[in-house]
Amino acid sequence: MRFFIFLFSFCIGISTSVYAEKNVLNIYAWSGYIPDTVIKQFTKETGIQVNLSEYDSNETMYAKLKASSAGYDIIIPSSYFIERMTKQNMLQKLDKNELPNFKNLNPVLLHKPYDSENNFSIPYLWGTTGIVVNSKYFKEGEITKWQDFWNPKFKNQLMMLSDIRDVFGMTLLTLGYSPNDTKPEHIKEAYLKLKELLPNIKIFNSDAEQTIYIDEDAIIGMGYNGDIHLTQQENPDVKFIYPKEGFTIWIDCLAVIKNAPHLQNSYKFINFILRPDVGKEISEEIGYATPNLAAIKLLPKEEQNDKTINPDAETLKHGELQVDVGQALPMLSKYWEKLKIGE
Amino acid sequence: MNRIAKHIYPSFIYLFFYLPITVVIVLSFNQAERSLIWKGFTFDWYTDLFNDFDLLNVALHSLEIGLLAATVATILGTIASVSLFRYKFFGKKILNGLIFALIVLPEIVMGISLLLLYTIIKLPLGFWTLLLAHITLCVPFVTVTIYSRIVTVNKDIFEAARDLGATDFSIFIKIIIPLLFPALLAGWLLSFTLSLDDVITSYFVTGPNFEILPLKIYSMVKLGVKPEINALCTILLGVTLLLITMAQLALRKKQ
Amino acid sequence: MNTFKKISVGTIWLWFCIFAIIPIIIMAITSVLTPDTNSLVSFKFTLSNYTQILNNTYLKILLQSFYLAGSCTLICLILSYPFAFIIARSQSKYKSLLLLLVIIPFWTSSLIRTYAIMAILKAKGIINVILLAMGIIHHPLQLLYSYSAVLIGCVYDFLPFMILPLYANIEKLNPEYIEAAQDLGANKFTTFVKIIIPLTMPGIIAGSVLVFLPAMTMFYIPVLLGGAKNILLGNLIENQFLTSNNWPAGAAISVFLTMIMCAMVFIYWRSSKNKNGKFENE
Repeated sequence: MRFFIFLFSFCIGISTSVYAEKNVLNIYAWSGYIPDTVIKQFTKETGIQVNLSEYDSNETMYAKLKASSAGYDIIIPSSYFIERMTKQNMLQKLDKNELPNFKNLNPVLLHKPYDSENNFSIPYLWGTTGIVVNSKYFKEGEITKWQDFWNPKFKNQLMMLSDIRDVFGMTLLTLGYSPNDTKPEHIKEAYLKLKELLPNIKIFNSDAEQTIYIDEDAIIGMGYNGDIHLTQQENPDVKFIYPKEGFTIWIDCLAVIKNAPHLQNSYKFINFILRPDVGKEISEEIGYATPNLAAIKLLPKEEQNDKTINPDAETLKHGELQVDVGQALPMLSKYWEKLKIGE
Repeated sequence: MNRIAKHIYPSFIYLFFYLPITVVIVLSFNQAERSLIWKGFTFDWYTDLFNDFDLLNVALHSLEIGLLAATVATILGTIASVSLFRYKFFGKKILNGLIFALIVLPEIVMGISLLLLYTIIKLPLGFWTLLLAHITLCVPFVTVTIYSRIVTVNKDIFEAARDLGATDFSIFIKIIIPLLFPALLAGWLLSFTLSLDDVITSYFVTGPNFEILPLKIYSMVKLGVKPEINALCTILLGVTLLLITMAQLALRKKQ
Repeated sequence: MNTFKKISVGTIWLWFCIFAIIPIIIMAITSVLTPDTNSLVSFKFTLSNYTQILNNTYLKILLQSFYLAGSCTLICLILSYPFAFIIARSQSKYKSLLLLLVIIPFWTSSLIRTYAIMAILKAKGIINVILLAMGIIHHPLQLLYSYSAVLIGCVYDFLPFMILPLYANIEKLNPEYIEAAQDLGANKFTTFVKIIIPLTMPGIIAGSVLVFLPAMTMFYIPVLLGGAKNILLGNLIENQFLTSNNWPAGAAISVFLTMIMCAMVFIYWRSSKNKNGKFENE
């Protein structure tokens, strides 16, 4: 009995002591998207204690923030969520005077339609979605288009990303439409085409697609370029291909929640991330390309020239930035459910 | 033949339970970072783990919540099942239905509605919101477990005790609890397990300064199962086995 | 007269009011509002979220989940009963330790254990490696990303939830009843069916409830072990809340599901009451 009273008060003690922290920063980020070393370095240099919480998708992050602001300061939404969250007044307008390192950013990735003045978002990492093949089983140049997936010889072999936008996006590309297309007739066409693809699909997965490709549970499918870049360290046979019909580009950005409790610390953190040495470390650790020009110059030559994460301008022309398709989401969702239930 | 079956069958079940656990332990020594195939022996992940104070802190949080939630849920669940069994009171049928509704309710619904509740009453997210949510999650499970045992009790015992002058409270403490002890233990263990492992509800109701283990693991496996996690699970396993053995020895000494 | 009764019932009611009834009310209210792209819900009353459920796709998903949860419960019951029976009635002084050994693996994260199951079933996993090395097969078996893998994962996850209530119940079984039956000439089979099972029925029901109900809404096991090729109720509801941002629809499906489950349990309860007036279970 006494033991429980002790345990109880011990727990209360622990819980209240954490609230006493004033110099903190609450970051809410994609799982594993900010290297531990970067966070430790930030705390060492500024003395600010960082509380890192993680989410597994833009959607779960959005759902939680919609229901309550939850006390977070910084989040890392993808570009197509920035647009939605800005419209719904969920983000803090950033004062660029507090971010002197902003000048390090690659102008090509700035002033995009989802945030034309970059008043609400600062690019963190960017990437593309493309085709992944295991070169042990495919000759070079054998697979070049999304359309190749529909070949009957790939029965029960494909690994598809588990994201509705990614899968519908690539199908829309094979039909010659934009991956951001919201016209109901086009989406229906894509749904019918995807129905034909179903027998070829072995796995839907967005989480640990790296393990699946490394262990050869799938030898062909979709993937994110940064993940595949890291995969190559453990299994060099895994290759990333930019499809001829086109592909989606997305930019994950740092953003501050409206009325964040620790605004000054947030600015300090963002400015810290924009330093070239920090940008270099993030890019190397996470595998994706950094939007920080000064950081790119610090990367080793093979990284700078790696075609997977730094495609040349010619290839990039076929890419299209992923945008919010708000009104089409329920329709896409319904078709997705129909596909999964086999209708 | 019967005696052999009595030993072989449980052994099969234990094998079934422990095979994946063995895999977890073995993989914690695996030299590969993202692969699930054996590539060589190493202690690296354990050293990584000991340097990762964050992860250890998070594990401690989960243990705290687990112990407290299980205990409170068991107490509440016992009171609930005893009341449902013994007494007639206003809204008894509703309470019955409510308990089932809570077990059926998808965790994501529970999580979001609790989050909305907390927002409305302006309770800051963190330790308390998490604890209350876990207790709410566990109570129905405890109630159902204990109720299934209490229905086999003969109500005449209570009548006899009352005739002898005992109050309801002492009946509860001196008769009911000892009678139900295995069910109480089962209920506590069930709650502890549920709490240690709960991801979805916890995701929605916890705050930035109180991260718990299942959430941490859930986000870590998004990158592929880092063997560090396997190392952590192995250690947790070892610690619990140690604690249980010590408890058993202590109990034996008492007797 | 009964302060204890007042306090117990009062505490229970207080707790459930705040933490169970209010959230359920919030959900019920959400289920009759209209979804809105900007603020999640707009306060316009509508029943369309419920009428939507009656379409073909949702009903198929409901049936599939039913089937999976039902198979899982049945398999758990068949596997657990002998186990719980043997352990509960053993004379060993290590009885509670044996029980604890069942539960301990479940204090490691269920997610990690599911990944461990994947490591066992994969194309390059343990089973295939052993069978290939022994020459029994020449190509790896595709065990993972199939319906059976999902079933194995489910059963593995829910087994303790069946074992513990069964144990709690069987432990109380009075051996004298069994002896009496055998003295009267019943063979082992009849004793089992006519005496033991009815006496342990509360435990069977409790275990089935604790497995079937959560199994209806689980979702990460079909995703990890089944390759996410099927959609179950859990995935559907998650979809509504997260991807479609249609909280009212998600709430409506959840409320609908809850009502069906409660109705089922109620029907069972009424029918078992009719069979035997004094038979008390949920």
